[in-house]
Amino acid sequence: MRILKPDTPSQALAMLSEAGPDGRCSAGSTALQAEWFAGKAQPSVLVDIARIERLAGITVTDDGLCIGATETLSAVISSPAIAARCPLLAEAARRVGAAPIRNRATIGGNVGWRKGCLLPVLMALDARLEIMTPRGSEGISLSDWLSQPAEPSVIIAILLPPQVARGRYVYRKIGLRAAFTPSAIAVSGAILADAGIVSALRIAVGGGPVPAARLTGIETLLAGQELDKIDWPAVRDAIQAGIAAPDDAFRSAHYRKRAGANALVGMLSGKPTEIPKDRRTIRPAPVEPQDEFRLSRKEGGERWHVRPDLPAKIAGSLPYLTDARRDDMLVGAVLRLDEPHARILSLDTSSAEALPGVKAVVTHRDIAGTNAFGIVVQDQPALCGEKVRYLGDPVAGVAATDCETALKALSLIEVEYEPLPIVGDPISALDSNAEPVHTNGNLAASIELKRGDIDAGFSAAAHIVEDVYVTPRQMHGFMETEGGYAEPTPDGGLAMFAGGQHGARDRLQLARILGLPEEKIRVVTSPTGGAFGGKDELTVQPVLALLALKAKAPVRMQWTRAESVLAGTKRNPMRIRMRTACDADGMLLAQEVDLVADSGAYASLSPGVVETAMEHACGPYVSPSVTTHARLAYTNNGTCGAFRGFGANQMTFAIECQMDRLAAACGLDPVEIRWRNLRMPGMPGFLGQRVAPSERLAEMLDAAASSPLWDATGEAEQNEVVGTGMALNYQGNGLGTIPPDAAAARLMLAADGRIEAHFGLDEMGQGLIPSIQAAVADRLGCARDDIRPVIADTALTPDSGSTTASRGGYVVWKAAELTVPAFAEKLLATAARLVERAAKDLKIVPNGIADAATNSRIPLLDFATLAAALGPGEHIVEEAAFKFPKSDYTNGNARFIFAFGSTVARVAVDCATGEVRVLALELHTAAGPIIDLAAYLGQMEGGLVQGLGLTLSEDVLIENGRFLTGNFDTYFMPTVRDAPDKMTTFALEDLDPADPYGPRGAGEISIGAVTPAIANAVADAIGRWPTVTPFRPEAILEACEAAR
Amino acid sequence: MTHVAANETITVRLHLNGEELEATVPADASLTRLLRDRLGRTETKIGCEVGRCGACMVLMDGQAVNSCLIMAWRADGAEIVTAAGLDELPVTKTVRQSLAEESAFQCGYCAPGFVVSLVALLTQNPDAGRDDILTALEGNICRCTGYHSILRGALLAADRIGQQAQKIP
Repeated sequence: MRILKPDTPSQALAMLSEAGPDGRCSAGSTALQAEWFAGKAQPSVLVDIARIERLAGITVTDDGLCIGATETLSAVISSPAIAARCPLLAEAARRVGAAPIRNRATIGGNVGWRKGCLLPVLMALDARLEIMTPRGSEGISLSDWLSQPAEPSVIIAILLPPQVARGRYVYRKIGLRAAFTPSAIAVSGAILADAGIVSALRIAVGGGPVPAARLTGIETLLAGQELDKIDWPAVRDAIQAGIAAPDDAFRSAHYRKRAGANALVGMLSGKPTEIPKDRRTIRPAPVEPQDEFRLSRKEGGERWHVRPDLPAKIAGSLPYLTDARRDDMLVGAVLRLDEPHARILSLDTSSAEALPGVKAVVTHRDIAGTNAFGIVVQDQPALCGEKVRYLGDPVAGVAATDCETALKALSLIEVEYEPLPIVGDPISALDSNAEPVHTNGNLAASIELKRGDIDAGFSAAAHIVEDVYVTPRQMHGFMETEGGYAEPTPDGGLAMFAGGQHGARDRLQLARILGLPEEKIRVVTSPTGGAFGGKDELTVQPVLALLALKAKAPVRMQWTRAESVLAGTKRNPMRIRMRTACDADGMLLAQEVDLVADSGAYASLSPGVVETAMEHACGPYVSPSVTTHARLAYTNNGTCGAFRGFGANQMTFAIECQMDRLAAACGLDPVEIRWRNLRMPGMPGFLGQRVAPSERLAEMLDAAASSPLWDATGEAEQNEVVGTGMALNYQGNGLGTIPPDAAAARLMLAADGRIEAHFGLDEMGQGLIPSIQAAVADRLGCARDDIRPVIADTALTPDSGSTTASRGGYVVWKAAELTVPAFAEKLLATAARLVERAAKDLKIVPNGIADAATNSRIPLLDFATLAAALGPGEHIVEEAAFKFPKSDYTNGNARFIFAFGSTVARVAVDCATGEVRVLALELHTAAGPIIDLAAYLGQMEGGLVQGLGLTLSEDVLIENGRFLTGNFDTYFMPTVRDAPDKMTTFALEDLDPADPYGPRGAGEISIGAVTPAIANAVADAIGRWPTVTPFRPEAILEACEAAR
Repeated sequence: MTHVAANETITVRLHLNGEELEATVPADASLTRLLRDRLGRTETKIGCEVGRCGACMVLMDGQAVNSCLIMAWRADGAEIVTAAGLDELPVTKTVRQSLAEESAFQCGYCAPGFVVSLVALLTQNPDAGRDDILTALEGNICRCTGYHSILRGALLAADRIGQQAQKIP
């Protein structure tokens, strides 16, 4: 690529003309990288027009405004001249991209690529362009220019007549989330009337895939009509018919046309869209608010601590494992095939190996151990030799001196392969004649349960509700993609530094692959930039390890986001058919559940996810008869596994909507029907297993009933209808009865006087570090800062089990309970010897040991002096090993300890567009005593918004094994504007007397009930339950229209 | 693979965090890759490389921009400040302190980008209100927090900076 820098528009044009189709203008260049990532070829010539003076400036002319093409959108927004003359343009520009994009993106670029969301507003404002063409500088109306074929040209300026006072100017961009979104459609209009007669009208549409165009047919139709007598419904239909919009993976053509027409007509007519009425959920009877703790810094007082790792993270000085840069470090890269399912016929790496700068090329032939990994079943190759089963499957790895050489080497690897039939959906995957993804067929797991007489239950029913609930392939979306570095160790072993969730298990899996003893492998897994279950399975480690060993040098590798989308694990998409019966009083009689889940190419933890979903098949309710059946299918659709909630939240979506629907059928309020069917403390768990005490479902239900959100008013905007809904949930902690679930930890006085707490757990953001400090310091009586957590390093820390399944909090708390008394005794005994006092007369205080008889917190002996006084080889250390508490049930996997919660959602549904805004989320939790307040609150709020994303906007789209989602430009996680305006979190901390199990896990409870709470709130607003997540605005729009 | 090796290299002179630097990069290299891979300035994080997450935010001539969208050659002669170079700006200390007090971040990988966006906003507009903050942070994705902790920290910082600004005649 060559960069050319002209001084004038004519020079720029000459350069572009000479370059032909391979030339591009560049000013802000905010779209180029996305195009390249999506596979579009780079231009061979880039003509930099950013510094051409003639293209800059916003000036007021006799005719209006002249906006230079290279003016940024930020300049447009902040221009007083534009605010005074064409405020609609500034308003529309605020909806383009996001602030930092608008700092670079230019108005000329928005026009020039012919897809910008400003085109409709510019046409409605009757914009003209000043352009340089081979014929010279000329003026042309924007709509004429757009209708002509593209030719080499340089846009010089956009000319706008001013808005006039008697006109009505409107703009609306309908996107895929609240902000920083591509357009589903953007619409704009200007209507001018003289003495009540329409004298001028311009209507235009565009945005994203919608071709930008004026709707001149409708303009002609309305010109000269009396404004008050316009038949707006007819205009709406005419606009809808007049819009040429395509289908794409995100929105249908019909939706774009319908929503665009609704929005335009609503704004032009000034008349709001009709909203559904009288479809409201019966409000729960008011109850006294629970005695809960509202979580905040203010309420927390002395319990609120600044996380010790936060200042460095905020300053940018905390190195993540993907940040390691050393001169001797090679760069690793992975080769994948462009086929989701193919048999590999041959693999030739000789040309790549011969490329200067390449230090190692690895394939399946380099694997000394077993070419298979997987947390439960080892069905995933480290490097594929026989076939690939999804687009993320690796076939070779390269380590080279730099990234460019590594990528070049990948392109030199020759792979012959034969495409196989693609297994593109889990239902057809289970057909008897489906192509097998694995030799043992496509049924990865099947779970059945039958209890009671379900036929009798359904026969006796007064009400039966049946529907299919669909949940998406949610992406973890951790901000730090999978990556790290590895280096060979002098003993012939390996050190691996890559974000993960269980270092000891990563080491076990690597040992199997590499054929090395575990003792020769060191695994460091923290800090990592988010995980949420997505770094539980191995990611970059196998290829990275093979490369480092073969190159005999350190190698770093971080997947690009595009690679992470392809290769990383995802939430299992589920289709849950649920049929639920109750009698006239709302008492459940029968529950039938049929679930089909997509495992993707490999098992990983997907069987466990499905098992957990089925453990929640009745929610926290009692049904006398239950029949459930779940099937998990292998496909070529990416690969799936653990993700926060682990199947529970998907099933909770279905059951909690069913409860509201049955309540509506019975004439009950949502709280009352739940009360009538709620399991009571002391009952066995869903599978008949013994469960831990301190159930708090009733309290969570009452807390939801007492929410002020039921009666909130005043948040609706034009066209919106508001609703409130709730859902109840519980989440099992720990791995369950079947897998081993052990933990170990250690306390040790270090030479510098800090008390080290060794845990083989991971800090992935959840707050492990402050939690360790809190749990140990609170019991020991010292300050938090006296504790130095040492974590996530198999060379230094004992195996504490995985940092998953909401188990980390319990492990930390239990380890402190087990180690602190003996450790304190040792500290005091040693101190007693040094200060020549009896140990019983001493106590531990912040920074050391003090006289027990005084209130003084000034130590007689500080920890550093104590440590320094220890003899050679003398250590103060205490270790504990224990098992996570389990139930007695062994016919399947069952949980013993649970956390409980309820979520109340308040939403606004736009009846013109079917968009849902979550106005407020209120979360009630009962997860035992809180270890660290700020960390707990963070887990709660983060889970809520992650659940909101699943509900409204997130899905990795795959069609027949091929990804339509490629990066964050085609995957829509919530932005700051998608988060609800109000979010409140409460905790009920008490446990039953003599409950020995301490704090419950806080990692997953918050995501569990968000989706059904929002769905029930939507139903409160419009009378229909959305059953497909993320909610399709099209379906909601249809429901709004049907409900009028 | 979607990377394409560029066939030309360009020498870029940068004013980076107050230092003068020179580097030769491929014509298609992004400023993010230059900062992280050539200059070792890994406080500039890498999240998507298509301008959709804000992890790589830097100040370029005082404005917050996604460094992944800036081709390195465009930074020639520009004043670039990364998250680790913000100390010279008067609002930085208050922004960092306020965010820490409110426990604004969890994994923290997005934090440097958020801090750059907020410092840019509060430097340009010490009276920024809630809506200004929302606008300034629209381009920064955080996956851990649900944003409210960041907003609380940002509002606390804005409040403190606004008060300081009022005291200066």
